[in-house]
Amino acid sequence: MSDQNATLGLSSVDRSGLRGMVSARVGTWLLIAIALCLPMVVGGSWVFALGVCFANAIGVLSVSVLVRYGGEVSIGHTFFSAVGAYTVAILDTRYGIPLWFSVPLALAFGVVAGILFAWPSRRLSGIYLAVSTLALALAVPEIINNADSLTGGYEGLYVSKPLVPGVKMSLQRYYAALAVLLAVTYGLSRLRHSRQGLTLLLAKSHPAAADAFGTRRVWARIAVMGISGGIAALCGAMLAFAGSTVSPSGFTFWAAIFLLVGSVVSVYGLTFPRALIGGAFLTLIPQFLSASGAWIPVLYGVALLGVILAGHYLPQLTQAMGRRKGGA
Amino acid sequence: MDVLTNALTGQGISLSFGGIKVLKGLDVSFRAGEITGLIGPNGAGKTSLFNCLTGAYSPQEGQIAFAGQSLDGLSPAARASKGIVRSFQHVALSPDLTVLENVMIGVARNHDTGWLNAFLPLPRGCAERAEMERAAMGALADLGLADAAHSLPDALPPGMLRLVEIARAIVGKPDVLLLDEPAAGLNNSETRDLMQTLQKLRSGGLVMVVVEHDMDLVMSICDRIYVLNFGEFVACGAPDEVRRDPDVIRIYLGSDDD
Ligand SMILES: Nc1ncnc2c1ncn2[C@@H]1O[C@H](COP(=O)(O)OP(=O)(O)O)[C@@H](O)[C@H]1O
Ligand SMILES: [Mg+2]
Repeated sequence: MSDQNATLGLSSVDRSGLRGMVSARVGTWLLIAIALCLPMVVGGSWVFALGVCFANAIGVLSVSVLVRYGGEVSIGHTFFSAVGAYTVAILDTRYGIPLWFSVPLALAFGVVAGILFAWPSRRLSGIYLAVSTLALALAVPEIINNADSLTGGYEGLYVSKPLVPGVKMSLQRYYAALAVLLAVTYGLSRLRHSRQGLTLLLAKSHPAAADAFGTRRVWARIAVMGISGGIAALCGAMLAFAGSTVSPSGFTFWAAIFLLVGSVVSVYGLTFPRALIGGAFLTLIPQFLSASGAWIPVLYGVALLGVILAGHYLPQLTQAMGRRKGGA
Repeated sequence: MDVLTNALTGQGISLSFGGIKVLKGLDVSFRAGEITGLIGPNGAGKTSLFNCLTGAYSPQEGQIAFAGQSLDGLSPAARASKGIVRSFQHVALSPDLTVLENVMIGVARNHDTGWLNAFLPLPRGCAERAEMERAAMGALADLGLADAAHSLPDALPPGMLRLVEIARAIVGKPDVLLLDEPAAGLNNSETRDLMQTLQKLRSGGLVMVVVEHDMDLVMSICDRIYVLNFGEFVACGAPDEVRRDPDVIRIYLGSDDD
């Protein structure tokens, strides 16, 4: 009797969930169509800002994927985005190698960097892992400045090689960032349904169960960090191309914090619309801060508080999100 | 297949936590083709023994072997790849995954497409997913759960989750199946269905061990029963012998008021 009631209740839940999924999909396609047409409507500075916003959205995804699939928080992802950004910028300015080759290379370097970081930190979790990622973030500007013969130091590098010769550079910067963002969200939507994705999600909530079904928890951690590092490097690569300049000021400790805040603001979403929310937040914040000089310390404080609260409520939050989004 | 060569055996398994002896030099031999019951009061060490067999715990002493091959030092994942699979007493399903997807994980170890398949719609990855779905759907149907396949675990009653846990364990065609209190939280008809499913699974090649409090279930499906108390075996034998054993009546059946 009671079972029957439960089943009946379920099927109606399933149906409304299905309707929500369909409307979400339509919304996403609409948003993509708008993004594709926007440069024909809005002015040049908007096109530039949106390109940077797309790149930032990729960075937000890199943090969200770590939260969603690894259950961990990073406050050091600028390290991986710097790897990607300088791969693109150095190959462009020093060797004249265009984006077609430098982006896949940036992705590969990001994955390797993620794995290299994951191995020594494989047994850390929660606040301990977050602090070790913090060390990465703090090291980035120093490393860049020390290697100034390669990185250009404080002055940075200017990325100017076109992807497709003959097409207006401002459009290229915009569409390349959009294309990579779409590719990343598509790849992540595939991951959710893949064998690897399923086992990673089990390893997040029940590592012992994942172990018992053949997925070693160390493997899961390394895989998630590799994916996350790779996506962060793509963010850096696109920041370099869409933003045209790469300098240490883009990879400060605060940039790393804001990546996490952007991920929280997008509620760790891995879809195109959610990533855009996080990306917009990240793109607007520096402008907002520079316009409001005296308020900067206060805003930093609020941001930090937000991060701490997020860290504290993360388990409950992700659980609640998993309940709502898991079927999608 | 020779029954003895395909057995899961443990010799002198001793496990302690901070000086407290949880398992005291246990010798076990779980034979293929049989359903072995493992009973005993709460805290007797049944789950701990499973944890030692699957590699989740490393016993301080003793050897564990399957089909004549030592398992000592192998990780739980390595043991899983040898076909040793378990269900958990406390249901361990991912809340992010649907019931079907949770059960698909039970066959994951039989598949090996590379990472590109995880991100791109390549034919091998798609075929793998379809194959995993088909197998999981079959296991769910066997346990009468087909309707719940696309629900999230949080939306289901505990009894159904228990069955999902079992579906995940049996879906990958294991060689050793360790079930930790599979009938806990099930109603009578669910328990009866489960017993039938377990009977159907019984085959020449499968080692099946069931930890269970439901005495009717244990007595009716098991060929042999081990009785564990305070980390020691107090009896071992056919259901009828165990039922008549005075020690067992005293420590277990006698104290069972319901
Ligand atoms: N990880 C652990 N740490 C400390 N003690 C444990 C651990 N696992 C089990 N025990 C102890 O081992 C004893 C047996 O537990 P368990 O194997 O769960 O019993 P059963 O499954 O028979 O109810 C209990 O006293 C329990 O407290
Ligand atoms: Mg137990």
